[in-house]
Amino acid sequence: MSYQPSTMYYTSRRQQNWSRNQNTTRFISSVKLGPVAHTVLIALMITVLGLIYLTQATRATSYDYQSQKIDDQIADLSTQKNDLEVENARVTSLQTVKNSDTAKNMVTPTDVQYAQ
Amino acid sequence: MNFEFAKGSRSRILAVGLLAITVLFVGRLFYVQIIRHDYYQNLADQEQIKRLTIPAQRGLIYAMDGSTPVPLVMNDSVYTMFADPTTVTDIPGVIKEIDQVVGASNAQPNLDSLMREKNSRYEVLAKNLTTDQAEAIKKKDFAGIGFQQQSQRTYPEGALAAQVLGFVDSSGNGEYGVEGELNTQLKGKDGLLQSVTDVSDVPLTIGKHNISKPAINGTNEVLTIDRNIQSYAEQALAQGLKASANATDGSVLVMDPENGHVLAMANLPSFDPSHYGDASSLADFNNPIISDPYEPGSDVKTLTMATGVDKGVVTPDTTYNNTGSINVDGVNVSNAEGDKEFGDITLQTALNFSLNTGFITVAEKLGDGQNITKQARDTMYDYFYNKFKLGQVTGIQLAGETPGIVISPESVQGNAVRYSNMSFGQGLDVTMIQVASAFNSLINGGNYFKPTILAGTIDSNGNFQPAKQGGSVTSVKATTSATLRTMIHAARQSVASIAAKDKPGYYIGGKTGTSQQVVNGTYSDKLTTATYLGFGGTKETSKYVIMVRVTGPNFSGSGAQDAIPIFTNISNWLLGYLNVPPENS
Repeated sequence: MSYQPSTMYYTSRRQQNWSRNQNTTRFISSVKLGPVAHTVLIALMITVLGLIYLTQATRATSYDYQSQKIDDQIADLSTQKNDLEVENARVTSLQTVKNSDTAKNMVTPTDVQYAQ
Repeated sequence: MNFEFAKGSRSRILAVGLLAITVLFVGRLFYVQIIRHDYYQNLADQEQIKRLTIPAQRGLIYAMDGSTPVPLVMNDSVYTMFADPTTVTDIPGVIKEIDQVVGASNAQPNLDSLMREKNSRYEVLAKNLTTDQAEAIKKKDFAGIGFQQQSQRTYPEGALAAQVLGFVDSSGNGEYGVEGELNTQLKGKDGLLQSVTDVSDVPLTIGKHNISKPAINGTNEVLTIDRNIQSYAEQALAQGLKASANATDGSVLVMDPENGHVLAMANLPSFDPSHYGDASSLADFNNPIISDPYEPGSDVKTLTMATGVDKGVVTPDTTYNNTGSINVDGVNVSNAEGDKEFGDITLQTALNFSLNTGFITVAEKLGDGQNITKQARDTMYDYFYNKFKLGQVTGIQLAGETPGIVISPESVQGNAVRYSNMSFGQGLDVTMIQVASAFNSLINGGNYFKPTILAGTIDSNGNFQPAKQGGSVTSVKATTSATLRTMIHAARQSVASIAAKDKPGYYIGGKTGTSQQVVNGTYSDKLTTATYLGFGGTKETSKYVIMVRVTGPNFSGSGAQDAIPIFTNISNWLLGYLNVPPENS
């Protein structure tokens, strides 16, 4: 790929005010892209964009699976916590306490004094 | 590249063919995507979008243990184990595992045949598995075996306060008791998750119609019931019924007279809420203390006396001539204890011996002194209905409360004979909760507190939030209350054998009641309902009110014989439990 230098003078007021670089040059490509090349390029761009979209969508879905996994863990832990609370309530229930060895060894007080 | 589109050339035929196919595709796509857009969108949504209900957790129910809430009703996770017989491969292995882990009690008896039902895709193998049991079987990873998690009510204290609690039926609705009355609050509100899901029903964030509405769990309610008092009351009631001939039904109500809190509500017969289907009768689900109006008998004499004292027509020392009966509008109304204390006696004596004539006299004095006039009846009705709230629902937070009835003097039936009967507790139908709440106001300075069973709630952080205290209305003057408290104390002390069984150093009073049962619309001469209504504490303050009722289809006992022992048992225990120091210590 090569470029032909061409010299031109800009007449815009902005450039007229420039004190430097007044002999600015630009290069015009000598390569011309035809309609087929344009079509291919556009198709490629659409493909790349599509791939980017798919990548992002898949990534979001993978987060959903992670989220679901964490939700499942939370549900399991919640169930375990609940089971433990029920078990705790059972072992501290009146009936359990009454039937415990400690309770069976207790005796009725014979004399009670009240602090004034 | 140059294409030859000469007429009849292969290129032209190909081009025309491709064009036709393209037009066909575009046309079909237009039809499917534009014209039938809604139809196919719905089909796709039905397949891809799932609406999952997020079940709200039913609120727990707590009782008090002193000042600490303790759970009475909780939610337990249980699992139903099922098989898809078309995919089960290791039938002997599954059966062996169920035998080892679950046992025979929760497993179906015909496991082998169930798993060979190749025409079925769902067969229940075992129910009510615990989390540990389900996890143990899941680890084996049997093909075609699955588990469904369910939540069910569990009762750490067993059948304690069953009729207060009620139960939750198979459709998840509360029935009877607190479960029935506060069903809406306890139930909470299910949430909704609407989302695009994958084949495993995992919700995905893609899709523009996703909805995530979290469940609102039910409120955790804390009852005023103290589990220790409740347990003791149930035990004392069972012992008392056992000791009384033909006593099959009984109730005990314990209240705090200073605020209307119900501390215990015990009834027999009862049921086990975790196996409510095994109850011997539907009547066992009812709480007779709030739902069984009856003629309360002589307990009501305290209310009649309070009416007379409050109106200033009688005092405890007012005397009348007791002849054993009084003629009211041509009807002879006599004492139950016919031959006792004839002659001029005080109303205190009439209360001590529970003489009906004394309280008919009070009713007469509310009129012209000789008759139970319309004015007397109006006054009695005003006190009984408006001030003591008899014959109307109290509004306690329990399902199934019934009002009973107090006949108005405006009614034809509200005549002098009826009001003479009402003065000693017959001719009106009221519930125990009504009578005990009215009695509270007689001994607490004259303040009627609406009875309540709700102490507060437990918030999401597990902190107890006390309920806002309801106010009180004045039923009688404070001086009237003081007079009645002294009279009721004296009534109990007048029977030495009863007073001797009280813990020394405390101020305890009470009144017996023995009413005739109504059988086929008429009063039975033999069958009775025995009650005792009393208080205990120090001379300054009453710490509790206990009401006991004993009855049965063949019961013919009395309040003194059958209800007082239960009262005394609970009263003496309560003084220790509540740490009430004796006054002479």
